[in-house]
Amino acid sequence: MPRVFITGLGFVTSIGNDAATVVRNLCELRHGFELFPPFQQPGIPCKVVGTIKEFTTDSTDPEDWTFPSRYQIKRELLRSMAPNGLFAHCAALQAIEDARLTEADLSNRATGLYAASGGSPYLTHYHHDRLLKHGVMRCSPLGIVASIVGTLNFNLVAAFKIQGASCGFSSACASSAHALGYAFDDLVLGRQKRMLIVGAEDGNSDAILPFAGMRTLSLQTDPSLASRPFDAARDGFVGTGGASVLVLETEDEVRRRGVTPYAELLGWGQASDGYNVAISHPDGHGSTAAMQHALRAAGVAPAEVDYVNAHATSTIIGDVSEARALRAVFAESASRVAVSSTKALTGHGLSLAGAMESAFCALALREGFIPGNAHLTRVDPECGGLLLPRTTEHRQARIVVKNSSGFGGANVALVFKRVA
Amino acid sequence: MPDAVSTSSAPSKPTPTPPKPFGPEDETTLRESLKRCSPSTFEAAVQFRKTGNPEHVPAVVIGIIERFVEPDLRIKLKDADDDLRLIEDLGIDSLTMMEIVILVEDVLQMSINNEELRNLRTVGDVKTFIDCKIRGLPLPKPTKFIPIEHIGAVMPTQPPFLFLNEASVSSTAANGKYRITGQEFFLQGHFKDNPVMPASIMLEALGQLAVLYLLEGAPTEPGKVVSAQMIFFTGCEGVRAHRICKPGDILSLSIKPKRMKMPLATFEGAIRVGQDKAVIAEEITLTFGLVDAASTPVSINGIEHADTASVADAAVTPATPLRAAINA
Repeated sequence: MPRVFITGLGFVTSIGNDAATVVRNLCELRHGFELFPPFQQPGIPCKVVGTIKEFTTDSTDPEDWTFPSRYQIKRELLRSMAPNGLFAHCAALQAIEDARLTEADLSNRATGLYAASGGSPYLTHYHHDRLLKHGVMRCSPLGIVASIVGTLNFNLVAAFKIQGASCGFSSACASSAHALGYAFDDLVLGRQKRMLIVGAEDGNSDAILPFAGMRTLSLQTDPSLASRPFDAARDGFVGTGGASVLVLETEDEVRRRGVTPYAELLGWGQASDGYNVAISHPDGHGSTAAMQHALRAAGVAPAEVDYVNAHATSTIIGDVSEARALRAVFAESASRVAVSSTKALTGHGLSLAGAMESAFCALALREGFIPGNAHLTRVDPECGGLLLPRTTEHRQARIVVKNSSGFGGANVALVFKRVA
Repeated sequence: MPDAVSTSSAPSKPTPTPPKPFGPEDETTLRESLKRCSPSTFEAAVQFRKTGNPEHVPAVVIGIIERFVEPDLRIKLKDADDDLRLIEDLGIDSLTMMEIVILVEDVLQMSINNEELRNLRTVGDVKTFIDCKIRGLPLPKPTKFIPIEHIGAVMPTQPPFLFLNEASVSSTAANGKYRITGQEFFLQGHFKDNPVMPASIMLEALGQLAVLYLLEGAPTEPGKVVSAQMIFFTGCEGVRAHRICKPGDILSLSIKPKRMKMPLATFEGAIRVGQDKAVIAEEITLTFGLVDAASTPVSINGIEHADTASVADAAVTPATPLRAAINA
């Protein structure tokens, strides 16, 4: 069975738009939150967002957008993108450069791309509005490909001339973790030699505010208190957008190209709660099973795990159910496995979360640190019995687990291993 | 705002210029729509919307096309002739074409349907098309691109005396290309050790393009077509050669009909090499004869010669000079 390695990473996140900045912020526990200008009005109770710096995408016309000058993107490509498409394109360029991939490495039948986003509610809204106001024949011919859920894969596959497998994943906040899992399977089954995995979200009002109706957003006005997973005073999640891209390759390709991987992806597992459309199972049954499947697939005993990057979004119900799942899986070793949620720094990236946080795990494995729990002052007793470091620890983990959960009770766990 | 659904599904009926007053609010909307176009495009659009004068339309249309062309290709539009091809020369794909159409519709307050779009291949096609729509004239036949094998099949002249490699024909013009290979038999003697394309042959090439126009593009009487066996040269005037043309040069030939009245058709013609003027002919006149459409074996591309409706339309609408001449 071919082994699978992470060989490239790209970031456009609220805590940094390159790997070095992200590492620094994960180590120093500096968050990426700001009072989000569009939210500072009486009708909107939530105020804080994990904002993307250096990019402005608050126009429905991509030619109005601004982004760092190191990215040159032609109008021909830009015109069919949503904000998440721009973020993903830039993160993909970073990952491709980071993995030292040539055009030939990218554009062949053995290199594919899986992507995940919630589409662009922002542009959907705009184009439908135009349709109603100006008539059906005055809609932008690119409105659909710019806004529906597959927009990331459509744009990136065309832009980077990907010729292998491509599709999008839609399991809400587990989407890009699913994309990683199925990309792993394609590599292990010998269907592909290399996969790009992309998660991205707009992170603007249209993407975040619909969650206000579910009462899942934090109403905190202090950016340093809004996102605090596992804390007794948490009151909901903070939304964010951006993009993360990972390059996965088989062992043969890693050797042929002579690159040094970040980490090995040992295996993955998934399981569903079969419980509620939006609420996670109170005892975390699905999450427990997903972690157990993943560890079994990876051939790793629970006691061997050094660190879990939790899904924990800082919602009242979700964090408790994941804490219960973690205690069930790790049992007597639960107090020795470090657990943290980096959403305390970034906010919750929805479809982006799984890919972004897996990329954080890859950085942690290469750089030798374990991210701490920012903003955690008093642990919710329901989340007790876990090792929740308050600060980032500079020690080398060997085995890391990444959890992701989405609506409908979809749960994914991925197991990474340090490259010796 | 017209209902886009019903107007777009209707045939391209002449829509008279809207007499709607053009207010400051419209100007703001227009400025927003054209914010990435040149100021002169915006000015022309304002003038058109205020006066309905179709003379402003080409500037608007070219300005909108320019905005959608990649910056490094825009130079081509600067002194564009009407033959500039949207796809091949300007890199405009069908999606960009839709973007152009939607902006044109928006700015000129008109509707264009999909079938009409398919026929627009050149900048000239677009200008003529929009102009006809604005003036409420029947739409011209689309430009046809005629490859060498078809040219050989329909023309009475044949190699080694055929001087067209490719051609395009519309109802208002024909354009062609001929590359001087150096293998032409007459270059052995014209001149000794110094091959120069004879001016008389260049005039012949223009004449051949006019013949192709008569066979492929000229509107005729219902049920009749021009006979390839009945076209002959009668005269020319105002012929001037400006440039020596030699092997390797690509001659860009163009002719436009000036007058057409059975049995005579008069054209103006020009040959360029790149941007250089090579030959000008103020008038080239051919005679031609018609035969029944059914009796012709050489019709290609299924042109509708029996277009009764459009001839009838032409009789009641202010017609193009050519149509007027036919009906004279």
